[in-house]
Amino acid sequence: MTPDTAEPDADGPVTMMDYFMQLEYHELLCPVVRRYAEQLLDGKLIGHKCPSCGLVYLPPRGYCPICVVETTDADEIELADHGTVTNYTVVTPVQYYGQEETEPFVRASVQLDGGNATMNLQDLVDVPVDEVRVGMRVAAVWKPKAERDVSEISNRSWGSAEGCIDGWKPTGEPDLPAEQFLGKAAF
Amino acid sequence: MCSTPAVPDAPLTTHTIEFPYTRTLGPVVGPFLTGLRDGHLLGVRNRDGRVLVPPLEWDPATGEPIDADFVEVGPAGTVETWAWVGEPTRKHPLDHPFAFALIRLDGADTGLLHAVDAGSPDRMHTGMRVTARWKGERIGHITDLTFVPEEAR
Amino acid sequence: MADIAIVGYAQSPSWRQSELTEPQFLFPVISEAIQQAHVERRDIGFTCAGSCDYLSGQTFAFVMNLEAVGAWPPISESHVEMDGAWALYEAWVRLQHGDIDLALVFGSGKSSPGLPSEIYPLQLDPYTLTPLGADPVSLAALQARAMLDKGTITEREMAEIALRSRQHGATNPYAQVKDGRGDVDAMLAEPYVTAPLRRHDLPPISDGASAVVLATADKARAVCDRPVWIRGIDHRIEPHQPGMRDLTESLSTRQAGNHAGVADRPVDVAELSATFSHQEKLLREALGLGDRVEINPSGGALCANPVMAVGLARIAEAARAIRERGATRAVAHATSGQCLQQNLVCVLEGA
Repeated sequence: MTPDTAEPDADGPVTMMDYFMQLEYHELLCPVVRRYAEQLLDGKLIGHKCPSCGLVYLPPRGYCPICVVETTDADEIELADHGTVTNYTVVTPVQYYGQEETEPFVRASVQLDGGNATMNLQDLVDVPVDEVRVGMRVAAVWKPKAERDVSEISNRSWGSAEGCIDGWKPTGEPDLPAEQFLGKAAF
Repeated sequence: MCSTPAVPDAPLTTHTIEFPYTRTLGPVVGPFLTGLRDGHLLGVRNRDGRVLVPPLEWDPATGEPIDADFVEVGPAGTVETWAWVGEPTRKHPLDHPFAFALIRLDGADTGLLHAVDAGSPDRMHTGMRVTARWKGERIGHITDLTFVPEEAR
Repeated sequence: MADIAIVGYAQSPSWRQSELTEPQFLFPVISEAIQQAHVERRDIGFTCAGSCDYLSGQTFAFVMNLEAVGAWPPISESHVEMDGAWALYEAWVRLQHGDIDLALVFGSGKSSPGLPSEIYPLQLDPYTLTPLGADPVSLAALQARAMLDKGTITEREMAEIALRSRQHGATNPYAQVKDGRGDVDAMLAEPYVTAPLRRHDLPPISDGASAVVLATADKARAVCDRPVWIRGIDHRIEPHQPGMRDLTESLSTRQAGNHAGVADRPVDVAELSATFSHQEKLLREALGLGDRVEINPSGGALCANPVMAVGLARIAEAARAIRERGATRAVAHATSGQCLQQNLVCVLEGA
């Protein structure tokens, strides 16, 4: 029994209670992500390469979680804006509160050339949901420079290129075999 | 507990979490809120005969289940302690300054936390009498009422 | 019970609003505690963290905090949605099994992004308290009023506690409120925030972290020439509804203190998680701490209140008093819930 609202029958017992919970958080954008966002406006994807293990994190976190060492601007590495789909999921949206999608959509992990950093939860465009495959080669579809906006970028690295990259479209290149991308990225 | 940002000019990100909850009430809280909708304050009697307000399903001292033996309490009571909220938040039940108080309703053995719309802190003191002021339209919710100094009725 | 010792501890300073993410300011604290303990990260047999996702505003934020630990290869870890002091209790229990000899404990939180007055009511009874927006300052004010009415404290004493805390905080590199100047009369002339509490009676909003490394007896003696021994640790909880408790006494603190053995020998230092000034006096009495006990030499929670780390920081500060300032026996206290609903007491000794 999950009514949308707790409208009680005026004569019967009250059996349900609504509570709408809303919290707002205002957090300073950390310097590492601030710099990442500035570069994004310029059409560049900048990650940090761990000086110890060589794994690349994008957006950068300011540390390598495997080695537990700090990473700084000195560890910056520019990644290509094209790469390979290494994982994806097809989300069939349930219309719960806050869900804006109505049709099945894809969220993909894209492992970028030039450093093997993975960007997660990316949109794929110009490809039907049922044709998405692991190994598929894709390239970023950037917004025109004047339209780019990084106000939605936060410290939490979800939506990692939101406001600048609309999604990733297939390049038409042959798929990359698994052994060429497995085990090369941090995740 | 102030909220002025300490790092000027640094970009601030805003993030909102929202969840709509609809909770079932069960055999004790349900009748309590039904009572509020109908303009009654209810407590529940435990094994020792103490009347607990708000009613609970289990005795906080022993952990034993409490039989749903409801007792009407109030509508008036005595303020056991109070605090003056000079700047209410959007989550508070009143949008002008008010007192939170623990109110020992007549017939109850415990204090109910609620709001007293006293108008000014000068009208509040421990030991004063307050009484329920019911909203015209009630749905079965703790905010179906507020308390006011008894002489205001 | 097996003897367990603190062999390393570290804290971040507390900031009003950190520019860094929580894992960013947490990882150097963890690294420092491990380094101070003279142990290797890979030798830690169990890790336990205390944090609150609602503070960060993100589900599974506590999972992201594990990035500050170095959780690869996989580690054995646990988490409590509570202050790191309770994470320490869990680690202490874990070490009792005797199959591992080192545990890492930490607590962290950023209170700056959210509004405490809106977040904490969500921890309360959803039917009778949350919908009234009963916030921690209002609830603490009810407790202060009850003590004032009973005659167990005065507003002047509250201001004196606040001033003394700040004077201590001025000497603590980790404290946030460090302005030790002040005059009780001037403080009492300030307006109430939520009567009877004034600004100086309230804790600051803080971002911060603390970490502690625990070891079993043989390991402690092997890595550390001055382990700080946990002689007793206990925690107790009272009923949830504020109207069903005596807010002027802390029965749970008294019981936890008895079970932890506070009164067994004289206490030199006590670090108490008194987030509101009146609570310091209440806790002193509950723990039977007389005038010879130095209370909150760190400045306490009135000078730095990194929620989820503040209780663990009291344990770290008590250990610091023993190891760095010659105290023999110290008590650390942590609390959870409104108006000291749940309390943990830890007794530490240097020898």
